[in-house]
Amino acid sequence: MPLLELDGVSKRFGGLIAVNDVSLKIEKGESFGIVGPNGSGKTTLFNLISGIYRPDSGRIFFDGQEITELPPYRRAQLGIGRSFQIPRPFKGATVRENVAVGALFGTLSGKIDVDSALEIADHYIEVVGLHEKRNDEAERLTAVEKKLLELARALAMKPKLLLLDEVVAGMNPKDVDRVVDLIKRVKEEEEIAVVAMVEHVIPAVMKFAERIMVMHEGRKMVEGPTLEVLMMDEVAMVYFGESKLPGE
Amino acid sequence: MRRYVRPMIPVIILYLTLLLVGLSSESRWQPVAFIMFYIALGQALNMFLGMTGYVDFGYVAFLALGSYGMALAFSSFSSLGLWVILLGFVLAIIMSSLLSLAVGAIALRLRGAYFAIATIGVNEGFRYLVEGVRLWGGSEGIIISSTMKDIFGSDLSNYISTFVADIMVFVIGFIAAFLTVYIINSRIGYALMAVREDEDAARVMGVFATKYKIMAFAMSAIFAGLIGASAWTLKLTYVFPEDVFNITYTVEAIAIVMLGGAGTLTGPIMGGLIYGFLRYYLSTVLPGFQLLVVAPLLVLIVTIFPEGVMGYVKRKVRNTRFEKYII
Repeated sequence: MPLLELDGVSKRFGGLIAVNDVSLKIEKGESFGIVGPNGSGKTTLFNLISGIYRPDSGRIFFDGQEITELPPYRRAQLGIGRSFQIPRPFKGATVRENVAVGALFGTLSGKIDVDSALEIADHYIEVVGLHEKRNDEAERLTAVEKKLLELARALAMKPKLLLLDEVVAGMNPKDVDRVVDLIKRVKEEEEIAVVAMVEHVIPAVMKFAERIMVMHEGRKMVEGPTLEVLMMDEVAMVYFGESKLPGE
Repeated sequence: MRRYVRPMIPVIILYLTLLLVGLSSESRWQPVAFIMFYIALGQALNMFLGMTGYVDFGYVAFLALGSYGMALAFSSFSSLGLWVILLGFVLAIIMSSLLSLAVGAIALRLRGAYFAIATIGVNEGFRYLVEGVRLWGGSEGIIISSTMKDIFGSDLSNYISTFVADIMVFVIGFIAAFLTVYIINSRIGYALMAVREDEDAARVMGVFATKYKIMAFAMSAIFAGLIGASAWTLKLTYVFPEDVFNITYTVEAIAIVMLGGAGTLTGPIMGGLIYGFLRYYLSTVLPGFQLLVVAPLLVLIVTIFPEGVMGYVKRKVRNTRFEKYII
């Protein structure tokens, strides 16, 4: 039984079909990449999985139960953690408080007290390398640090599935390597399935994902082993075919 | 334990100072009680506005229902003797919390500004209901002074309305402060912080936002009800709808919370102190013009300290040894 299963999921916004009949299976502990240009429906797909939107048609299953109609907080408690493309830290709170929210309300919701949550928070702050900033207000972090904070918050939820929305976008190659290594390591240690969505940083996907799916205009274009898929001509078409500038 | 005790130290110092100043001479008691009302009012609203960032323009309705709760206890259960005051507080709690659950269950599904708009109608609607269908005495209100004299005798009645009622407001404010410290350090506090800072992010992190918003709303409403029951009904010995549903108190409460620092523990206390002090002394120095002075002063303070006076102090003491005392 797959950890996450999407069965013919669609979402419309007025006349625009943002996600069109997408089916997908993610196994436990898998590393999966979703690739596609801007506007191909990746973020909408994430919002459907995390529960911010309900699909217009299709069904979603997670860990053996249907979650199509469940609100976001219930899905989070079942083990779906996510980061946002533009980090959304709790600005006025400290790094430590930010991460503690994840521990308190994630899969351990109701099972731990504030002190244990703070311990878990300290652990993941250490893991992502923000320990020196743990008492700083989140709004004072740099853009890269805010991304790391999002990651720590999501990890503190002890998720079974981690959805990463453009987590390495805008980072320099050194930071990209560091973050990809970090995700790979945590994922192995905690047996989390990771679905990472990437628009441009293809090397990061190659290093990280075992399988990828390419999305184009809301549809699943192709799905398969990472290298195989990236070599396909039609995938290159999606990215380069309509570009006016050579080499873009 | 220390994280509950240390932040309470400045609160206890402020409260004790106020109490001692009030008791030092008879002429000082009324101004101190006046200021104390605004402090308690700010603390009650802070539990909701400060914790969730949601603005409730119908807030005074909770004070009104609390004051009616106390008045109804006197008018219907005067045979209970001294216990009637306890019953009055219980009715105040029940009536204000029921209204908050009814309003919250519907309106707290809305976000931010939409909630604020939805609540504007609550207070006015309730007032016209009371006056229109002649509920609870209609526009004539409920006068409990003679019932009070029958139950307690005139000396004790006098003592209750000039001293006990004020002390009650003191106690209610102090309990509110203690509960606030507890909430800030608890699961509920983390949930409310997350909702206030980014409700969508909070939801995908597992926070059942609507539940925590309703909890904060109900707690805040209960304290408002208790304040209405003692600072209005017990103290003034009457309830008139046009007084208790007066939107001015909502606006004042919001001003106090923002002035002192929304979401902080000592903020509403400082806010209430500054606001109450200005209003009282300006009304003796410049009678009739006090609001003309208070309004620009508030604008000035809020411009200098956009996060409130104590919000500013809290930021300044971060990473110093005073950090644990100012929350």
